[in-house]
Amino acid sequence: MAITMTESAARHVAANLRKRGKGIGLRLGVRTSGCSGLAYKLEYADEVRPEDAQFESHGVRIVVDPKSLPYLEGTQLDFSREGLNEGFKFNNPNVRDSCGCGESFNV
Amino acid sequence: MALFQISEPDQSPLPHAKRRAVGIDLGTTNSLVATVRDGVAVVLCDDAGRPLVPSVVRYGEHATEVGYDALAHAADDPHDTIASAKRLMGRGLADVASGQRRAYRFVDGEGVIRMATRSGAKTPIEVSAEILKTLRARAEASLGGALDGAVVTVPAYFDDAQRQATKDAATLAGVPVVRLLNEPTAAAIAYGLDNAAEGTYAVFDLGGGTFDISILRLTRGVFEVLATNGDSALGGDDFDHAIVDWARDESRLPALSAVDARRLLARAREAKELLTQHDAAPLIVSFADGARLELTLSRETFGRLTHALVAKTLVPVSRALRDAKLTASDIKGVVLVGGATRMPQIRHAVAACFGQAPLTNLDPDEVVALGAAIQANKLVGNRDGDDWLLLDVIPLSLGIETMGGLVEKIVPRNSTIPVVRAQDFTTFKDGQAAMALHVLQGEREKVSDCRSLARFELRGIPPMTAGAARIRVSFDVDADGLLSVSAREQTTGVEASIAVKPSYGLTDAEIARMLQDSFAHATDDAAARTLAETRVEAQRMVTATESALAADAALLAPQERNAIDHALAEVQRRLEGDDRDALSAAVSALNAASEGFAAKRMDRSVAQALAGKRVDAFDSR
Amino acid sequence: MIDFSRSHFDLLGLRPGFRIDAEALERAYRDLQRRVHPDNFARASDAQKRLALQASARANEAYRTLRDPVARAEYVLALRGVDAASETDTRLPVEFLTRQLERREAAEEAKDAHDDRALGALIDDVRREAAEARDEVARLLDASDPATPMRVREWRFLVKLADDLDALRDAQI
Repeated sequence: MAITMTESAARHVAANLRKRGKGIGLRLGVRTSGCSGLAYKLEYADEVRPEDAQFESHGVRIVVDPKSLPYLEGTQLDFSREGLNEGFKFNNPNVRDSCGCGESFNV
Repeated sequence: MALFQISEPDQSPLPHAKRRAVGIDLGTTNSLVATVRDGVAVVLCDDAGRPLVPSVVRYGEHATEVGYDALAHAADDPHDTIASAKRLMGRGLADVASGQRRAYRFVDGEGVIRMATRSGAKTPIEVSAEILKTLRARAEASLGGALDGAVVTVPAYFDDAQRQATKDAATLAGVPVVRLLNEPTAAAIAYGLDNAAEGTYAVFDLGGGTFDISILRLTRGVFEVLATNGDSALGGDDFDHAIVDWARDESRLPALSAVDARRLLARAREAKELLTQHDAAPLIVSFADGARLELTLSRETFGRLTHALVAKTLVPVSRALRDAKLTASDIKGVVLVGGATRMPQIRHAVAACFGQAPLTNLDPDEVVALGAAIQANKLVGNRDGDDWLLLDVIPLSLGIETMGGLVEKIVPRNSTIPVVRAQDFTTFKDGQAAMALHVLQGEREKVSDCRSLARFELRGIPPMTAGAARIRVSFDVDADGLLSVSAREQTTGVEASIAVKPSYGLTDAEIARMLQDSFAHATDDAAARTLAETRVEAQRMVTATESALAADAALLAPQERNAIDHALAEVQRRLEGDDRDALSAAVSALNAASEGFAAKRMDRSVAQALAGKRVDAFDSR
Repeated sequence: MIDFSRSHFDLLGLRPGFRIDAEALERAYRDLQRRVHPDNFARASDAQKRLALQASARANEAYRTLRDPVARAEYVLALRGVDAASETDTRLPVEFLTRQLERREAAEEAKDAHDDRALGALIDDVRREAAEARDEVARLLDASDPATPMRVREWRFLVKLADDLDALRDAQI
C-alpha cells in the first residue's frame, strides 16, 4: 500500500523545501521510543538510500526506510490547523492505540 | 492528536521532549503561572484546584507563607504580612504616599525600600521572589522537572527601575527568565491568536495596582504595539481605598490600628466585588475593641466615590490614541484585562469612550498568564512552526541631563524595541577631564520631574578646549525593555559604560548575597545549583550549535568548521565532568569560535528577507 | 554581520527616494524582523543573540526613519550630502516664524476662551499647510532643488506645531 499525503500537506512540504533551499523530498519513518512504544520521524530528505522505498504524492517525493515501512503502510499525511497550532498529522491505519497526545503509538 | 513539524535529517525530536516553558503573571493582587499543553495554553492550579496565588507573603514565626495561607493572616499579622509589594518595586521610600506609610514598618534609608519583618528587613524584590518561588514550585511539580524558560509579565508602563526589579526578583527565585513581556501585549497574544484577529485593537488593563492601555495592530501574525500609556500607580486597590475613606467619613472613625485598618480594607474589597453583581453591598466590620461598623454601599454611591479614578484612566487612553495617530473609531475591538475591569463603572466608561462594548470572552484574570505561556513556548523553541512575531515598545522616553537641569530625550517613548540610539555631547570647560552622566526616564522637560535611573561618569577625557571633545552617549534598549548606557569620547576612544542599575534597585553584590543566604537556609546546595545551571547553559549552546551546523554548515570554510567542531567536542567532554569552571570556559570558547559563523548566518537571513522583494518594491510605486 | 553602512532603503530592499510604497515598506520591515528579531534567538548562542539584537534595532531604525515622511525627506537629503536637520542650520524665514508664533498665541487664546471650534479650525489650517509642504517637498526633491532643505524645515515645524496644538486641545478636555 502506498504512502500518500493530502494536497494541502504537499503544498506545505513543497513550500518548506523551497524555503530551506535544498532537499529532494520528505523522509517518513518510525523508531522505538516514547510512552507508547513507537514514534514518528518526519524529516527533510537530502538523499535517497538504496534500500529506501519511494512514493510520490501531489508532486512531492516521499522516502521510507524498509524497517519503518510496515508500520506506515497506507498512511496519509495531512496538514492541519488546530487553534494556535499548525502542523502535519499522520493518519495511520496501523495504529491500535496511542498516548494521550498522539506523539507515540502502538501497532 | 499531535501535530508535527518537519525536522532536519536525523533530528526528529523525541516524543515528549518538549522544553518546560511557563508564563508568569506577577500581579499586584494575584499571581498565576500557565503553560502550553498539547497546543493549548492552560493555567496551572494548586492541589485544591485554585488557579490564583494571592500576591501576599507572610514572614511567620516558623515559616514564610505565600498565597492564601498568608492572606488569611493579612488582618491579624499586618506588619509581617506583605501585600501589593508590586506597587513598591523599583521605588524609594520618598515615593510611598504618606497615607500608605502606616501599612508596614518601613526602614528609613536611601535607595531600595525595606520593610522590617520578623525575618529581618525585606525589599519588595525579595517579597516578589517568594511569590515567584511558589509559582516555580507549582510549575515544576506540574511539568515534572526544572524549567527551561519563563516569560514574566510586567505592566507596559513600568519604567526601567521597575522592570529591573522584576528581573532581579526572578533571579532570586531561580526562575529562568527568557523575556519580560508587557502585560497588555501578553493579553493581545492570547486574545489575537485565539480569535485569528486582524486589525487595530486596544487593550485596557486595570490591575490591582497598575493601569495600562496599549494600542496594537495585528497583521498577518505580526503583533505590533503602536503606542502604550498608563499609570503605574493606579489600580483596583485605589477603589478599595476610596471605600475605606468613605467609611471613615461616614462613621467618623478615629485613627485605626494596623489590624483594624486591614480588616476594614478587606471588607471594603469584598463590598467592591459584590457590587459587580448587586446594586448594594453591606460593609460590616468588627473592630478589635468590640466596636462595630455597619454601612450599606450602593452601586450609585460607589460610582460617585470613584468617578475621579475612572476619569483618570481615560487620560492615558487619549494620549495613547494620539501617539498612535488614531482616533477611538479606528479601534476594531477593546480587550479588557485585569480583575478591576469587572467593575461596571469601568465597563461603561470604556464602552462610552470607544463607542463599542468591550470584548470579555477571555477571563480577565487569566489572559495575561496565558499569553505569556504562549510566548514562552515559542521562545524556548517548542514550536518551530510558529511564525507570529511580537514588536513591542518602550513606554517612557529615555534621556540624559543637560545644562540647566533639563532632560535631552535620546529614545522617545513608543520606540519599537530593541532600539539603539546615540547622541553626541561635548565639554563646556577647557581641559575638562570628566563628564557626569545622569540617565532619566519620563516625558517632562525638567530633571526634577523625571525618574532618575542612574548616574555614572566618563573619566580620562584628554585635555581639550571647551566644545572640542565629542562624547557619544549610546542608549541600548533590549527586547526586555531594559536599558544599558555607554559613553565614549570619539577622538580618543576613552569609554565608560553601565548596565543601568537603578538608584532604587539591588546591586549585583546584594543579589549574590541574598542568593547565598537563601542557600544557607535551604537544603539546596549553592555549588550544585550553579553547576546545574552551567550545564543547562552548556547544553543549550551545544544544541544551538548543532542545529546551526545542520542547517548552514555550507557557509563555513574548513578551518572555521574545524575550530567549531573542536570547541563543541570540548564542551561535550566537559559536560560529562563536574568541573563548573572548566565547563564554563569551554562554553565561552565555543561562543568565541562560532561568532563568525553566527554573523554569516545573520547576514544570510537578512539577504533572504530581501530576496525576491527588490523587484516588486521597484515596480509597485 | 549586518552591514551598518548600507542605507535604510537598501536594507529594506526599496529604491532610494522620497516617494515610496508604504505597503512595500511595511512588508519588507515585517519580513526582516521575522528573520532577525531576538525572539527567534532566545536559545541561540550569545554571539547570535547579540547580533540579533543589533540587526533588529537596525531594522527598527530604518523603518522608523522611512515611515515618517519628514524624517524620510531629511534622510533622502542626507544621502545626497545635505544635512537638513543639522543643529547648525536651523534657519527659517522670519515671516514664517512670525506667522507660526501668532498662531500659537491664537491657540492659547482660543483655549483660554474654551473656543474649541476656533482651536479646531486653527489645527486644520496648520495640517493643511503641512500637507502642502509635503507635496512641494516631493516635487523639490525630484528636481534636486536647492530650496528643499528650507522647505523641509518649514514642514517639520508645521507638523510639530500641529501636534503641539492637538496636545493643547486634549489638555483642555
